[in-house]
Amino acid sequence: MKSTHLFQAQQLVAGYDHKAIIHGIDLAIPSHKISVIMGSNGCGKSTLLKTLARLIKPMSGTITIDNEAIGDLSPRKFAKVVGLLPQSPIVPEGITVADLVGRGRFPHQSWFGGWTKRDYEAVAEAMDMMNITEYANQHMDELSGGQRQRVWIAMALAQQTDILFLDEPTTFLDITYQIEILDLLTDLNRKYGTTIVMVLHDINLSARYADHVFALREGKLVAGGTPTEVITSERIKDIFGLSCSVITDPLSGSPLVVPQGRHHVQEASSSDSNRFLTK
Amino acid sequence: MNNSSSTLPQHSWRVPKHFKLILLCSIVLLVVCAAASLMLGSRGVGFSEMMDGLFRPEIDSYEANIVRKRISRTVFSLCCGAALGVSGALMQSVTRNPIADPSILGVNTGAALFVVSGMAFLNIGSAEPSIWLALAGAGGTAIFVYGIGSMGRGGATPIKLVLAGAATSAALSSLVAAIMLPRAYVMDQFRFWQVGSVGAGSWSAVATIGPFLIAGLLIAIVTAPALNALALGDEAAAGLGVRTGVLRIMAAFAGVILCGATTALSGPIGFVGLLATHVMRLILGPDLRYVIPMSAISGALILTISDVCGRVIGSPGELEVGVVTAFIGAPILILLAIRSKVRSL
Repeated sequence: MKSTHLFQAQQLVAGYDHKAIIHGIDLAIPSHKISVIMGSNGCGKSTLLKTLARLIKPMSGTITIDNEAIGDLSPRKFAKVVGLLPQSPIVPEGITVADLVGRGRFPHQSWFGGWTKRDYEAVAEAMDMMNITEYANQHMDELSGGQRQRVWIAMALAQQTDILFLDEPTTFLDITYQIEILDLLTDLNRKYGTTIVMVLHDINLSARYADHVFALREGKLVAGGTPTEVITSERIKDIFGLSCSVITDPLSGSPLVVPQGRHHVQEASSSDSNRFLTK
Repeated sequence: MNNSSSTLPQHSWRVPKHFKLILLCSIVLLVVCAAASLMLGSRGVGFSEMMDGLFRPEIDSYEANIVRKRISRTVFSLCCGAALGVSGALMQSVTRNPIADPSILGVNTGAALFVVSGMAFLNIGSAEPSIWLALAGAGGTAIFVYGIGSMGRGGATPIKLVLAGAATSAALSSLVAAIMLPRAYVMDQFRFWQVGSVGAGSWSAVATIGPFLIAGLLIAIVTAPALNALALGDEAAAGLGVRTGVLRIMAAFAGVILCGATTALSGPIGFVGLLATHVMRLILGPDLRYVIPMSAISGALILTISDVCGRVIGSPGELEVGVVTAFIGAPILILLAIRSKVRSL
């Protein structure tokens, strides 16, 4: 079981080139839970994730892990506790699956220590978890998009961190693979208690897979809580500027957002959907 | 402990396939190539005469003396080749660009400009002081090109770096020409240096380049694991605990001193770094812990073979090695450029 950490941000302001994108966010990441950062394009989801993962230095405010500022930790030490899978990592030409997964062991290895049994085990375990052991010796370019994404997640798993950040892990994948990836991440969370924080584009998948949702609008945190607490039609309208109905997903019981456009609204609709129409 | 290898047989992936065999072959090739460099040239020498020249100092034949004269040149060319090979591997890793090479990034030309300037304005003619000029020129150019390449959105992308390097290189070449053309004495002295030659390789040249080679190689080997992480992208590398800025500076510094020192003594020899690294990548795969040190061997091989070819083709005089490497390198660069278009940089 992964250890519990108190991971907090206070009055966080961050962005690029002196231009703030995140404007004063306070949050605490729930340990051993799956958290999703959601919001419209350009609201600062990825910036927030990258700042929490120490890729971007905050302009002001603090990020602490167990009451220690993350900037004070050595990068390697931080990388043993917090892992990050960026949105579009680069596949070195000709690399095999196992070699790529093995690179996740970097923070655990000393320059001249070589590979220990623990390193091998971590790689084997990560590949097993992501069901890619059979591809171990294949080249990355022989795999499909979904398989590749599993390899990348396995690399992050080989890092064996308590906390894992993922920047849109399901983007560019077919719906089948999106579900597969999210199921695997849930397995990971259930089995090891790994704290997962990810940016997801799809509201409904967020609602289904998240234990906790951080809703962002224009660089500010407008809501945080369980999907049921956060995802209401008013709030979706507020965050995305989209009129919608929120119903209960018959499969999972989580909120399900049914977007409302200008077309394709049935005339003889129930009073329930009329309520949203007139709103 | 002893069962770890038997229960985990799938972990052979950590070492490139047939690595020991490849290493052995390269060392054999290196020896053959060194022997060829001693034996071949405007005047060929037989095997037994070569052995006399090498191991029997009491024999004072004409052939044995030719061989002795060629020893320092051979060692020098092996050193320069190794330095250029590793330099190329480092620059490709730092810029994450398959077609990076000291000559393509303009670092060579920067070193050349400083050496020629020292020649023309400060009357510096010998190798030892000009090595510092070359290093300053190489370092200055590297910083300049990196600075230009990082301007604008997205920071120092590989493609911007190469464009900045090519533009800088062209501008600096014209400056070199502008300084040399009106000065006959500089022209004369540096005509051959300018195209790149290891013909001047003396023991003192080897001694001069030696420390730089060792320092550069050491930094290269130490940074190789982190460069492996950097190959996955800056964000992924940072996520793995790599200080990408510090790493880039260290690796680029090593690359610059390796190619700067070489350029000071042998002139701007192009494409060796490019070829050496790609040959090794092709054979060994992408793991830089193997590719970087082995690029030293392939670089030494390529430069020495090119030098021997130049001597044989140009006989009774010799064709400068820089001309030979450019002839082999240019078509391969074009091939790589076409191929790498498929991959998004």
